[in-house]
Amino acid sequence: MGGVEEVMIPHINVHAILQQSVAGFYADLVTRPTGRAVRENIERDLPTGTIAVMDFTGVGCLDYSCADEIVAKLVRDKVKVLLLRGLTEAHREAIEPVLAGAGLAVLCERSDGALEGLGASEPAPALLDELVERRLAARNPGGTIRLTAA
Amino acid sequence: MTRLVEVPTSFDDRSFDQFAAAYAQAIDGERLLFDAHAAEWASPYGLVGLLAAGEAATRKGGERPLLTAPANPDVVSYWARAGFFREAGDLFEVHGKVPKLKPAVESDVLLPVTPVRAAEDVHAVVSTIQQRASAILSSELGLDPKATMGFAMALSESCQNIVEHAGTGGWVAVQAYNWRRRLSRRVVVIAVADAGIGFRHSLEPTQAKRFGERWGDAAALEAALIQGVSRFRDPGRGQGLAGIRRYLARWEGKVAIRSGTARIAIVPGWDDDVPLKDGLPAFPGSQVLLIIPEQASEKGWGASKK
Repeated sequence: MGGVEEVMIPHINVHAILQQSVAGFYADLVTRPTGRAVRENIERDLPTGTIAVMDFTGVGCLDYSCADEIVAKLVRDKVKVLLLRGLTEAHREAIEPVLAGAGLAVLCERSDGALEGLGASEPAPALLDELVERRLAARNPGGTIRLTAA
Repeated sequence: MTRLVEVPTSFDDRSFDQFAAAYAQAIDGERLLFDAHAAEWASPYGLVGLLAAGEAATRKGGERPLLTAPANPDVVSYWARAGFFREAGDLFEVHGKVPKLKPAVESDVLLPVTPVRAAEDVHAVVSTIQQRASAILSSELGLDPKATMGFAMALSESCQNIVEHAGTGGWVAVQAYNWRRRLSRRVVVIAVADAGIGFRHSLEPTQAKRFGERWGDAAALEAALIQGVSRFRDPGRGQGLAGIRRYLARWEGKVAIRSGTARIAIVPGWDDDVPLKDGLPAFPGSQVLLIIPEQASEKGWGASKK
């Protein structure tokens, strides 16, 4: 294994991008066209194969179509590791089955800072390992994993 | 020649087939008269279904159909408060006394009859329902306050079926009411209807071969609701109806979809509907019904039942 690269993690403010992507002031991420517009805006500044943090703070309703159009498609086609924060329980309920059904996973940061997998169970440990290996996250004595730098 | 299509006195998902049978007898070029003068009650499903019939009739016959408004002042007033006439004015030549009421803002009409033509309309619907439905869902139906967001998701996905698949616009309405006759509980009902291409035509290019001789309206509904298939080859498609099913299963809710000559339902324990009906009178587009009942509590049914 070579030396550890210093990585800048892009932070994506989903609510702000939603405002830029659709006409009118909406806090809800609903409908495929909206999801597509938001994802295309995100992809524009995001290098392929990167690790990214996506913050859902301020987002109201997230439906399954947008969960698929944004989160699942970014994980499938664009990013190496996607870390979600600011999720409500309702957001998780929309994202989890969409990812699980596609055999995909993301990491999400709980309110106490611990990271956990969301979506299919198989790929999640490798995502955590990737962050630890790059020293972006560290294992705590209690066994939880938290971000160190992001 | 004008053909009479009688609107059932109690117009809901159960009597809809009677209405569809009358509608199906019309032949191209005939002007239709939808006669609702004897109507005593209409559910949101009946109201949005009637609008879909009006749109389809215009398309079919060319001439704007006629509509006789309910004669009962209470009934016609309710139809006005539910937002029906605001939409009907563009589709029908309306006869009878129609009160000039604005759609209700503070009542059990959580969302008056609202047109859905584009993604922006779905945004507006979801935004409105979150402001208005939260209190009713939690205080009156005994749903966890967090369930409001799931309700908005289910509503969004139902409306998106029109935008993504119907090939035309449609309508949505949401209402809470006491469902004494069938359930002895309060319920919230989402009704969505369009007069578009329907599930069979939407799925035909990708699914017909797989089903072979079984292919038809019933098979298309089964493929969409049970198997979660979509006309799009994109692997993430088909999430919407699956999500609606999950939400309703959690809250003992019901979903029923009628399209063409078939109707499919996920039937909860409290209902006696049949899961699949085929060979029904043909009716254009798709009509979706979601019902979320008041939740059981330790003291009986939810908070509103004293």
